[in-house]
Amino acid sequence: MGFRTVAQWAASPDSGKWHITTFRKAVASAATVANDFIDYTYFAGNPPANFYASAPLEAALVESIRGINIPAIDGQFLKRITVMSAASSATGTTNQNQRLLLADYLLYYPFVDTDAVGEQQDMIQSASLPRYSSGVQIMAVSQSAASTVGTFTVSYTNQDGVAGRTSQTTYTKVVAGGGALVSSTTNAVAGSQQFIQLQAGDSGVRSIQSVTFSAAGGGLMCLALVKPLYHFYSTQECRRTTSGNLESYGAASQFETVLHGPPVEIKNGAVLGIVGLGNAGTLASSVLTGILETTWS
Amino acid sequence: MGWTSQDDLINQITTNGKIEPVVYQKTSVAVGQAGHWQHLLNSVGSIPAATFGGSEATFTATDNTWSEGAIAIGDQTSPATKHILSMGAGVVAAAGAPWFILPIDLVGYAKLTTTNVSTTGTKTITMTAISNTAANVDRYANGEGLRLFIGSYSAMGANAPTMQVTYTNSAGATGKVTTAGCVSTASATSGTVLNSGNAANKYGPFLPLAAGDTGVKDIESVIWGGTAHASGSVVVCLCKPLCMPIPVPATGLYNMVDFVNTLPSMPRLKNGANVTFLVFGTGATTAAATVYANFDYGWGG
Repeated sequence: MGFRTVAQWAASPDSGKWHITTFRKAVASAATVANDFIDYTYFAGNPPANFYASAPLEAALVESIRGINIPAIDGQFLKRITVMSAASSATGTTNQNQRLLLADYLLYYPFVDTDAVGEQQDMIQSASLPRYSSGVQIMAVSQSAASTVGTFTVSYTNQDGVAGRTSQTTYTKVVAGGGALVSSTTNAVAGSQQFIQLQAGDSGVRSIQSVTFSAAGGGLMCLALVKPLYHFYSTQECRRTTSGNLESYGAASQFETVLHGPPVEIKNGAVLGIVGLGNAGTLASSVLTGILETTWS
Repeated sequence: MGWTSQDDLINQITTNGKIEPVVYQKTSVAVGQAGHWQHLLNSVGSIPAATFGGSEATFTATDNTWSEGAIAIGDQTSPATKHILSMGAGVVAAAGAPWFILPIDLVGYAKLTTTNVSTTGTKTITMTAISNTAANVDRYANGEGLRLFIGSYSAMGANAPTMQVTYTNSAGATGKVTTAGCVSTASATSGTVLNSGNAANKYGPFLPLAAGDTGVKDIESVIWGGTAHASGSVVVCLCKPLCMPIPVPATGLYNMVDFVNTLPSMPRLKNGANVTFLVFGTGATTAAATVYANFDYGWGG
């Protein structure tokens, strides 16, 4: 059940229908690239790292422990999210102004070999979408360093249950390690796209049948099915200088649904994670920390 | 009741003086650990450091007259209800930023010491269940909205046992249990919220309640599993989070939240509220931190 009035929404903390949880994720030390997306779930911290580690090419559910903790309650909505980015060092200035996306992580197919040129890598359907059965988006996440730009297509079942649909030709990225999103519709080294572009007319994916590479990418990747929920951002890194005139820098970014945008439903059982997009240098060793608040009527 | 309109709020404040400012400042009793919450209850400052003088394994209710240290929020407003109008916070520390500072109303605690910490198993807590009366301890009727955390108030010994709390939920169902597998923090510093942390099976700031539960009426027991802490003293705290955590990006910075003119929420301060603060540190502090918070509350009627 949703909310009938703004007053009811605003009063939810007083009535106890409100949950607060912390998250803290430290990006690995491997350099990330400006304008490339990263998958914060892949990195260490709380919740613990989600390495998409299970049997290769077999569909698996993302474990709930890998998501930002929320209560098991129906009719839950995102109330507020507040984030800050801790600089990797006292002089670090490259994790400013990240675009961030809160997503529900649903299903994944791990360890796709990006070097298997000409070979159809068939997926094993050992699990199905636990939520959003009408279809979600495909995110390609690196599970190793990758040395070159590969080319591939994905065969999938679309939102209407039609199998045999084929994604647009997609290019992987050159990355220094796991946790980077590696999809782009161009073979340029710079720039990327968050989700794999689907066949014309399709809006979502229920399952993936296979992946075929036509040019080698030199690495491993996972195809994750996610539901994008809420866009937000972090404006600058938080840090304190340690020499000269000591100065403090930093900002918190707070987003209140209803006030700043429509309320977002968080389905019971959601595995919440964050996708980031830096715009100035590497995010390596920086820390994204925040508080996520949910509410229900 | 609170106020009937913005005009009423202005009138009650400017004509009738129905507003009070509150200042709080603590120097944390020990360094903070990365990714952990601290409770500051036993840290010196204004209000003074608590010593948790209640009986072992017995719930001690606390309110705005708690002799060990409580912000003196008067109950003079009844039947008018008190509401927080604005709140700000800052931290001064050599390291550890960024931080979040969360105001809570501490309804009470039960302490566990010596062998109740250094041995595993079920430690029964003696407590009269929260009811629905006018008494301060019942200020959240049947415990609706109350949350649990376990905090250290001495340096903890080695080992990180699992910990669960068995409780009666706000609907009166007994034997409910917080999430299995939650682990404590080995060798945690004094003042650490032990269920929080920067690893798997850590939850902050509160222990996750059983599915569907929205409050705690009675703390029944604490269950330690695995290998017990070598030593230490803890408090099982029952509290109500009051409003959004205040973010503090870097040392010396101060952030303030307006609860009237943004999305009006004006969090309720119940009669008897024992307001204190929890602090989340992204990094570890290298020296005791000074945590500052202030808020204004008002009332109508």
